[in-house]
Amino acid sequence: MPPPCCGYLSQYTHHHLVAFLLTFFSYVLLHASRKTFSNVKVSISAQWTPSVQNDSAPAFSPGETWQNNHLFADEKEATLFLGALDSIFLFSYAVGLYLSGVIGDRVNLRYVLCFGLCGSAIVEFVFGTLTEWLRIYNVYLYCVLWVLNGLLQSAVWPCVVAVMGNWFGKTGRGFVFGLWSACASVGNILGAVLASSVLKYGYEYAFLVTSVVQFAGGIVVFFGLLTSPKEVGLSLESDTGLSPVETDTDSHRPLMSDEEDEGELYGRQNQSIQQLDEPPAEAPQAVGFIQACCLPGVLCYSLAYACLKLVNYSFFFWLPFYLSNNYGWKEAEADRLSVWYDVGGIIGGTVQGLISDFMGKRAPVLALSLAVAMGSLVGYSHSPNDQLINAVLLATTGFFIGGPSNMISSAISADLGRQEALRGSQEALATVTGIVDGTGSIGAAAGQYLVSLIESGLGWMWVFYFFIVMTGGSIVFIFPLLFSELRAMWRDRRALRRQL
Amino acid sequence: MKAGCSQRKLEVFVFIFNLCFYASCQVNKLQICRLCSGTVPNATEVGHFCFKSAGTIDGRCCLSNYNTTDPEHIIGLDLSNCSLVHVEDLQGASTAVIIDLSHNPIVNISDTTFQGFIDLIYMILPEDIVCPGGNTSWDKVSVKDGNRVCQGQKNICNQTGQLSTNCPENSLCAPYGPGFFECSCADYYHGYKCLRKGEFPALQVFGPLGASTVVISFLLWVTQRRKAKSL
Repeated sequence: MPPPCCGYLSQYTHHHLVAFLLTFFSYVLLHASRKTFSNVKVSISAQWTPSVQNDSAPAFSPGETWQNNHLFADEKEATLFLGALDSIFLFSYAVGLYLSGVIGDRVNLRYVLCFGLCGSAIVEFVFGTLTEWLRIYNVYLYCVLWVLNGLLQSAVWPCVVAVMGNWFGKTGRGFVFGLWSACASVGNILGAVLASSVLKYGYEYAFLVTSVVQFAGGIVVFFGLLTSPKEVGLSLESDTGLSPVETDTDSHRPLMSDEEDEGELYGRQNQSIQQLDEPPAEAPQAVGFIQACCLPGVLCYSLAYACLKLVNYSFFFWLPFYLSNNYGWKEAEADRLSVWYDVGGIIGGTVQGLISDFMGKRAPVLALSLAVAMGSLVGYSHSPNDQLINAVLLATTGFFIGGPSNMISSAISADLGRQEALRGSQEALATVTGIVDGTGSIGAAAGQYLVSLIESGLGWMWVFYFFIVMTGGSIVFIFPLLFSELRAMWRDRRALRRQL
Repeated sequence: MKAGCSQRKLEVFVFIFNLCFYASCQVNKLQICRLCSGTVPNATEVGHFCFKSAGTIDGRCCLSNYNTTDPEHIIGLDLSNCSLVHVEDLQGASTAVIIDLSHNPIVNISDTTFQGFIDLIYMILPEDIVCPGGNTSWDKVSVKDGNRVCQGQKNICNQTGQLSTNCPENSLCAPYGPGFFECSCADYYHGYKCLRKGEFPALQVFGPLGASTVVISFLLWVTQRRKAKSL
């Protein structure tokens, strides 16, 4: 008998691989351009302000080189404005997520994804490159463009999760999605590399390169992406909703991978290809927004994710600043160290996804991980001034916070959008993903503001207390689901014992 | 492509700007030489200087004969005994080596009046007027015959040609008139605040990118979407 992993993988074709890679890199490119913006902030604020001088010394001449740009009086004001742009972006992104999920379930996912990628690439080009070439520095123009960018970027996430949900069934979803949700972290790394390699030519070229690469990604997606196995005549993965693996006879099949079974699988595929030669069945109808909100688990997971994304994004935005501020480490060192949080998140998401696949339940894994996360936050807040220990603690925190966060935003969103209550008759994947991630983004946007407020008023220690409380909050929201899942598990086990 | 286009536009704009600016300079120069009646007297310092350096006297100015690009290159300016109360715009004479403003009831001179007067090495002022940029900007300041004489402009930059602490990153300090310095971008640096280095290799970046986009799109279309059915 071949090892189970090969059977596990044999259900996948090259179409699966391409769909995985295309959706993965779509989001990588998107997150890379987001990271570019945070990495060129220093250059942009230098461009927007005149040179600072001591009061006594005369201004530098010639004026056209040192004094001519007066969008802001000094870099502090420019930094405030850039922070405001971040908040504007997150809010419009959140609003856009609610809308674009609904659109994604009604229009072809490929078109929406391509539109989101190319559209936001064009807006970023105008924001960063065109305004610089034409020397138009205007606060209102920047704000309008960044709102537009948030709306366009929000089209991407629900679409890529929906495409992934179409291709990868519940059997291996936790693991595949855990691996796949590394895309945000990979995007951060790619963005940092791209930005730092062209920044010396001017910040406008950092925007130019990332936006052109993103546009090219949109074109590739347009020509290459299959949004669903149905498009090439493969059947959808057997989806039996949220029932556990043990009692699910259908999803046992690929795990066993006997030759008969494989034959049966291929037979089934051929059959479905033949079936598709006949006129296809009527396309499933999309659910409404309210209806999607009322699906079991959607509201709870959305609120839990709002708390969790707040903590997760606060780490993303504030960690390098905290490290250089609190420990006095150089900015480059702090940047390098903060990568460990991402690494922990990637591993955490994959491992926890794998565990939840085998258990057939997600909520217990999440709750346990979050409970440990509260402890690791306490530990991290007391980290000594040593980069190695700090990196280890950071990776641990990333494992327990980033992992669940990645899982809710991808695997669980896909579970929720393809659950039993819909009976496969309705398109809800993108809508549900949009609701979960949109609520999360509102939490993240609020967190941006709250963290700076708490930090300036009460100090960093209270920021960590705030994080701990928020993590606890997400456990509270998961609790009803945890309770019902544990009860179901208990019932199944008892039924199994009775059979024996 | 767009970069080139916008840059060309910018060049045209700068060219037009220069034309206008140059024309206004010409007018300014003549006005300076006619600020007061008469010509440069032979007996004064400026007269001696002009004779020694074989210049041409035009009104109150001494023009250089050796400068072929600019026929009105002022090397000396003598505005002594002109009843000047305010000295405002002398920028047309920024190439002057010697300036005489003695015997004028001047109240005070703004610091920035002599900004950009790089070649100025000898100045005669009424006694109660301090040398522009203060005494520290000159090698020697003396009072002679009721006039203040400022001699030998000091270089405010510690050492020309080296990255100076006076100037921000990526720029070099250069003298820019008495008490002034200029920060011009160091080699390879350019743009606002000298933040940019080198030219962006557009072809090397976008050529391979465009080519690989086309190839990948084609390959994926052939392997993935060619047989796709619309749902």
